[in-house]
Amino acid sequence: MSGERRQFKSVKEVPPEDYYTSGRRTCAGCGPALAYRLVLKAAGVNTVVLGPTGCMYVANAHQFLTSPYAIPWFHTQLGGGGAAGVGTAAAFRALMKKGKRRLEDVNVVVFGGDGGFADIGFAGLSMGMSYDYPRLLYVLYDNESYANTGIQASSTTPWGATTTFTPSGKVRRIGNERMKKNVALIMAAHPGVRYVATATLWPPLDLMNKVSKGLGSGGPSFIHVLVPCPKGWFTPPDLTVELSRLAVETGLWVLWEHENGRFRLTYKPSPRKHVKNYMQLQGRFAHLPASEIDMIEEVTEREWEIWAEMDRTGKLMVP
Amino acid sequence: MKVLTRTDLEAVQIPRKKPITGARAIAEAVKIADVDVIAAYPIRPYTGVMNALAEMIANGEFAAEIIVADSEHSQFEIAKHASAVGARTFVGSSGVGLLYAAEAIAVTAMDQLPVVALAGCRALDDPGNFGMEWNDTLFFRDSGWLVSWAKDPQEALDMTLVAYRVAEDRRVMLPHFIVVDGATITHIAAPVDTPPKEDVTEFLPPYRPHYPLDPAQGPVTKAQHIAPSLIGPEQRKHVDVAMKRSRDVIAEAWRDYADYVRRTYDPFIETFHMDDAEIALVTMGAYTVNALHAVKEVRRDGIKAGVVRLRYFRPFPAWDLEKVLSGVGGIGVLDFSYSFGSPDSAGVVFNEVRAAMYGNPKPALDFLFLGGREPKPADFVKALKVLHKYVRTGDTPEGKRVFWLTLRGEDV
Repeated sequence: MSGERRQFKSVKEVPPEDYYTSGRRTCAGCGPALAYRLVLKAAGVNTVVLGPTGCMYVANAHQFLTSPYAIPWFHTQLGGGGAAGVGTAAAFRALMKKGKRRLEDVNVVVFGGDGGFADIGFAGLSMGMSYDYPRLLYVLYDNESYANTGIQASSTTPWGATTTFTPSGKVRRIGNERMKKNVALIMAAHPGVRYVATATLWPPLDLMNKVSKGLGSGGPSFIHVLVPCPKGWFTPPDLTVELSRLAVETGLWVLWEHENGRFRLTYKPSPRKHVKNYMQLQGRFAHLPASEIDMIEEVTEREWEIWAEMDRTGKLMVP
Repeated sequence: MKVLTRTDLEAVQIPRKKPITGARAIAEAVKIADVDVIAAYPIRPYTGVMNALAEMIANGEFAAEIIVADSEHSQFEIAKHASAVGARTFVGSSGVGLLYAAEAIAVTAMDQLPVVALAGCRALDDPGNFGMEWNDTLFFRDSGWLVSWAKDPQEALDMTLVAYRVAEDRRVMLPHFIVVDGATITHIAAPVDTPPKEDVTEFLPPYRPHYPLDPAQGPVTKAQHIAPSLIGPEQRKHVDVAMKRSRDVIAEAWRDYADYVRRTYDPFIETFHMDDAEIALVTMGAYTVNALHAVKEVRRDGIKAGVVRLRYFRPFPAWDLEKVLSGVGGIGVLDFSYSFGSPDSAGVVFNEVRAAMYGNPKPALDFLFLGGREPKPADFVKALKVLHKYVRTGDTPEGKRVFWLTLRGEDV
């Protein structure tokens, strides 16, 4: 069952149908909500959506008995995203092979947060990427903290960000002292993986086309989507898309894809903007002195030498 | 040398009755049930069933997706989600493996998905221990899973087939544990009659879920987060009603099953020598056989003892238990479970039995087999003698009600 790999060349080609609609109570300017909408537009109607616990579990209902999903959706436990995708895909394959359901391409999209995929469900995600289920797409919507429980650090929280578990104090000044985990690179390192990519809300067609490529790749795929979170980043709600753009243009968020063993950058910021353009808009970095931000700029510059080399050689390296 | 009885001769004469282990017997049932998705992760002793299934699938004996999961948590999540799509599923674990999966096990019942799982009882860590205790499975006492306890490989096979029928019944829709007493059943061969698939096709029709998670059936949103005031109590009541309804469905299923396989079981409780019994041992699972031997021995000394075996722990057959125990003067529970600090510092099963007998209380003693040490035949005889004396005189050694029978040293 190989699938179509529809590519959206312009906004005019984006289908008007939405499968993630009203009936939710996400925050104003919610980055994950925009990602959900774009991802499901690209995936289309023949899709099952699975949601590990996270801010997008609680924010997508709770207050009233409503559902924003116009396609089948099922909750899974915080650490269950990888397994939920495998169980769902395995059921479709078994039922189709055994003649219990008609043969058809069915997409399985699992939206895990950074807690759900980078921390507690990391092993399960890795297990999912080690199987060969086609049309199984794991989307890590990364707002860089446990945003539902009140902004606690995860392993994708960037160095220097304040969270309620990593506050900037009189003695421990920096806030989060761990480096952001590069989940996409780890997923790309799984043997035989067909498609791994990173994306954010900007450019929107980049995200949608990567979803389409992943689902059509013939195996499980993974997209790490950076999604600004006004609540956790201390940013105005109208800056969500602008922050996505700046994350890319400052080179702090690198847009790439790894397709059938070949790495390539899908956007090269030129000239790359100073990281302060992105960081200074965010309250979570407000405590960092200019010297620390300059240090991040230097690290980013060095890392980009590696990213450029990966783009040249098509091979995975660790920046 | 043992003299063969008529039953033994019949057993060897029926060609389809073959000596197989409990693990293999359950695997045969999974194959007969035409299970679609199986999730495996190794832990002794349950894991033999997955070895057997993997071999069957590799040899093309039947078709199923078998997933080698990264953990027990993933295992039970896989089964849950495959079930939600409409697949018939099988999963299982033992000991600490079950506890690792606890979260996934709990939600499966609240989602009312008819997953069937083997629990091969094993003592919990620490220290690591291959012995048998019931505490791993009894962690899920309050979870909303149906729980049945097999005494031998044949019953494990039969219970597995009946489990699918009951779990998938529209009146029930609950997951189901088949429990076996560890290696005593999973790794020991006994003669087992494996019914041909055609014989049970009608008994166990294909699983047809109400609202499958399948785009072909339209959108459905399952297990959405709720504010507790919305449907909190109503959802719990839904599961409660399903569990209560399962009583009739279970009885009906075993009646039907007997028609198809020509083997009859009392659905909830099996009794031995209870017609004239003055004292009774109450237990579950494989060691019932040891209890029965002890009863035969003490009956030679004139002690009128009987044995009551619970075949289901959930729903707990309190109604039948009270009836079969109404005539006895005292009860001894053979208990491989324990609840530290519980009323009388006793076993989980003991306190369940006492609660079931609350309306018609009987003098009751708890005989514990803990930490996995294998009991000796003499332990069961001792239990009967202590109970007999207690019923006659009201006295027990040191005035105790709870006895750690396999403990070395002082039972303080």
